[in-house]
Amino acid sequence: MAAPCELFCWKAGLGLPSVDTDSLIVLAYARFAGAPLKIHKISNPWRSPTGSLPALRTGEEGSCSQPSQIIIQLRKQKYNADYDLSAKEGADTLAFISLLEERLLPALIYALWIDSKNYVDVTRRWHAENISFPLNFFLPSRMQNKQLERLRLIRGNASLESGEEAEKELYRDALECLNLLSQRLGSNKFFFGDSPSSLDAYVFGHLAPLIKIQLPNCRLQHHLKHLDNLNTFCSTILSLYFPSEGPEGVGRPVSQAQQGSDSDNEPYKRRKQLLSVLVAVAAMLSYALFTGIVAIEHVREEEPGGHASLQGPVHEEEEE
Amino acid sequence: MGTVHARSMDPLPMQGPELGVQADDMDLGEPDREEKQEVLENKDVVVQRVHIDGLGRTKEDILTYEIADVFRAKSLIDVMKKSHEARQKLLRMGIFRQVEVVIDTAEGADAVPNGLDVTFEVKEMRRMTGSYNTMVGNNEGSMVLGLKLPNVFGRAEKMTFQFSYGTKETSYGLSFFKPQPGHFERNFSLNLYKVTGQFPWSSVRETDKGISTEISFPIWRTNHTLKWEGVWRELGCLARTASFAVREESGHSLKSSLSHAMVIDTRNSSILPRKGALLKINQELAGYSGGDVTFLKEDFEIQLNKTLFWDSVLSTSLWGGMLLPLGDKPSSIADRFYLGGPTSVRGFSMYSIGPQSEGDYLGGEAYWAGGVHLYTPLPFRPGRGGFGDLFRTHFFLNAGNLCNLNYGEGPRAHLSKLAECIRWSYGAGIVLRLGNIARLELNYCIPMGVQSGDRICDGVQFGAGIRFL
Amino acid sequence: MSLAAEAFVSQIAAAEPWPESATLYQPLKEDQILLSDSASSLAVQTFLRMCGLPIQVTCRPNAEYMSPSGKVPFIHVGNQVVSELGPIVQFAKAKGNSLSDGLDDVQRAEMKAYMELVNNMLLTAELYIQWCDDSTASEISRPRYSSPYAWPLNHVLSYQKQWEVRKKMNAIGWAGKNLEQVYEDVSQCCQALSQRLGTQPYFFNKQPTELDALVFGHLFTILTTQLASDDLAEKVKAFSNLLSFCHRIEQTYFKEHDRESSGSSRHSKGSLP
Repeated sequence: MAAPCELFCWKAGLGLPSVDTDSLIVLAYARFAGAPLKIHKISNPWRSPTGSLPALRTGEEGSCSQPSQIIIQLRKQKYNADYDLSAKEGADTLAFISLLEERLLPALIYALWIDSKNYVDVTRRWHAENISFPLNFFLPSRMQNKQLERLRLIRGNASLESGEEAEKELYRDALECLNLLSQRLGSNKFFFGDSPSSLDAYVFGHLAPLIKIQLPNCRLQHHLKHLDNLNTFCSTILSLYFPSEGPEGVGRPVSQAQQGSDSDNEPYKRRKQLLSVLVAVAAMLSYALFTGIVAIEHVREEEPGGHASLQGPVHEEEEE
Repeated sequence: MGTVHARSMDPLPMQGPELGVQADDMDLGEPDREEKQEVLENKDVVVQRVHIDGLGRTKEDILTYEIADVFRAKSLIDVMKKSHEARQKLLRMGIFRQVEVVIDTAEGADAVPNGLDVTFEVKEMRRMTGSYNTMVGNNEGSMVLGLKLPNVFGRAEKMTFQFSYGTKETSYGLSFFKPQPGHFERNFSLNLYKVTGQFPWSSVRETDKGISTEISFPIWRTNHTLKWEGVWRELGCLARTASFAVREESGHSLKSSLSHAMVIDTRNSSILPRKGALLKINQELAGYSGGDVTFLKEDFEIQLNKTLFWDSVLSTSLWGGMLLPLGDKPSSIADRFYLGGPTSVRGFSMYSIGPQSEGDYLGGEAYWAGGVHLYTPLPFRPGRGGFGDLFRTHFFLNAGNLCNLNYGEGPRAHLSKLAECIRWSYGAGIVLRLGNIARLELNYCIPMGVQSGDRICDGVQFGAGIRFL
Repeated sequence: MSLAAEAFVSQIAAAEPWPESATLYQPLKEDQILLSDSASSLAVQTFLRMCGLPIQVTCRPNAEYMSPSGKVPFIHVGNQVVSELGPIVQFAKAKGNSLSDGLDDVQRAEMKAYMELVNNMLLTAELYIQWCDDSTASEISRPRYSSPYAWPLNHVLSYQKQWEVRKKMNAIGWAGKNLEQVYEDVSQCCQALSQRLGTQPYFFNKQPTELDALVFGHLFTILTTQLASDDLAEKVKAFSNLLSFCHRIEQTYFKEHDRESSGSSRHSKGSLP
């Protein structure tokens, strides 16, 4: 490839190489396949070529945004992590990805975006701190609405109305899914032997947020703690494939992670301060303009116009 | 004149600090004052001019119908009486906030000695009025926004819009009302609405979206209403535990129905009448004009009131109705009749008489209910002439029955079925009149003739409503 | 797919025996039912037949609204109502009828995963073809879906349904796909199933499981339902072991009983090619 492809994904945070499941999947897959991508970790989805994250920009075929499509795209460029899989293993990959999407993903969305305590304390807080200034006021809530809508559509309309019962059910499905995954993984290092495949990327993308993000209110996490092989699976991937983020990301508790991201944010902070001063000055100026100066300006502007319009008909009358 | 009073559309209490002539005019409604006036003034007069001051967007042509009678007055008393009537008519149109009448001797070049000028000083309602209120019910709250445009096009047309946004449901209604100029009773209205109702006694939730047009007109002493209604109904279960019979009724249906209602009402008050009678007959034919619901529904209501000794009133009423499914489909749970509760057969829980399945009441295709009440003033009459007059004690005897009719058995079988297993109850209680639209009751009831499946409310029962057996 | 039914059911379902009066409700077979519902209904019927549990099939135009989850089919057993295959499998298990008891943990994980594969890809593809392919939607889905309703409600309801499905496709990222890509997904899914099945009689060797019922329900319905084009059926026909799998289940569980409840819809082609 002449120019390396560019991958846009959510920036790191909360102890993860990226905070978003789909971004994690793509990142992990790219690492597994050894694809030389130019990675942009950003916190503004509008800067991505497709308007959503993650997104892959390839030289000749434009951009795509869904993890499955990105993986297909990478595969086309011969970066294939599933090369060694047998046909049956390929089938299993497809099946287990479906299992993740149908059973675990709804609970994950619920835990991160719908459960109000988690959302306010962790998800919204992180996004508000990391998205740049004017966007951080409305982007998090817009993302939440989108996730809520998505969950509602996936699960059927009636199910979310029942509140607690819906939560119970989502978590029960997810628990079952976690157990099934744990059983399938057994004592293997990865799902299909010793080298990671796309299924491992998907499982990692869905599990890592549950393992690493400290949510104040999530029964799923307690359960996941007891599934040792899944925990080892995630930390293996983190230490093997994300060594740069590894020491900070794995060992560090959340509060430090947030401090880290704060220090990353230093320029943003200064910009924010500058902006707030600007806004205040602008407000004061406009108030001053409204009360005093505008009146003068208006008079000045209108006087010539008024004269002209007054003179117009007068002239005509004189002519007549 | 009687009808004017009965309608009680007067939006403002009559007051007259600076009224002058009108102060007497006010009192003309009372017959005893009328006689005194007659002694004072009995000269022949001519009404020369009638002015209406304060008109903005109201078109004058519709007002001429309302005030035409004033010109026909021959004496001062007559002028006052006719002006008062005209004032009532103007207020009833609902487009004026205030109407005052000034009667003066005629002035100007063409004035005759016994000529009078009548001036109506009106204040129009605002072009648009809004209202806002919040309601809290059991386990839910809602916010109601109302918008009213009285007199939209200047001829007493009224447009109202109501929107209620609740924690569980939103509903709205838009209606347009137009009276015929000069005949306020003849009017046309068009409604557009969405309403959601929850009926816990049947575990049913119903969402209706519909459109209806209505024409009302009086014939002799009766009032008729013709109505077409097209409504899209969605029924659902209120809870997962709803019975299967209710579950089977879930889903969408489209009802298009023509209905006719006739009312004769000679009562002096609709809530606690002392005399007079009411007859209401309602018939509805669904289907034939579209939709997938076909039935014929008839029901009636009769009430007779008679004042006995010591201000006590004997009131008897009888209700009845029948629903006849016309197609091969059985009747829907949303169309059937329900009976029981503090507003009909007292001593039974709300709509909890008759056919049921796993505790959900399914309603019946035929019913009747009757009641005899003896209303008396409160013992020892506290607050007489004021607050105490809003209260009555009553003794009652209610009876009724509700059942499904297996069509094909013949009318005799139907009648005998309705005469079997009659539910009845008796008791006593206190009635409170709320304005002229609703009443509250607190009763001690003893239900009798209870059948298995009925839910009773033995002892103290509280009820509120606008229609009472 | 599973709903509150599951929790409810597993708690309440007592060890009462399976009653003879158990009934399965689905939309009208001749005029109304669509491919996806027909497939789900056949899957449930197949599962119950595999368990040896008797069931009567009743068609109701409002089946979708009668169902507690809004999805068909659902069964009414005793005084309980359970909808969709997942909860029905659990319900049957609570009553002592299970097909997957003989599997080990890994096999059970795989079985569940493949069931989700069918739901995630085949069912979604069926919905996509029904409602997002314009010619299928206008020629088949909308007229059939709205057949029990009077004008103008029929149009309102069918467009409402279509809009709902399209919104769902949007949410799960299928809105950007075209028909070819969806067929490709179906092929991929069948490929996976075919691989997994191999030369075995059932997915987990000798004994049928709920996965077999689900796969049969979908594939048989796809093969026997006339759509706007034959492309979907052709995709399935490319896999001979899946065809013979369908044949085998049809022979074993349906031919001996009766032909009628084979769940195929209006333009049924009868048995398999």
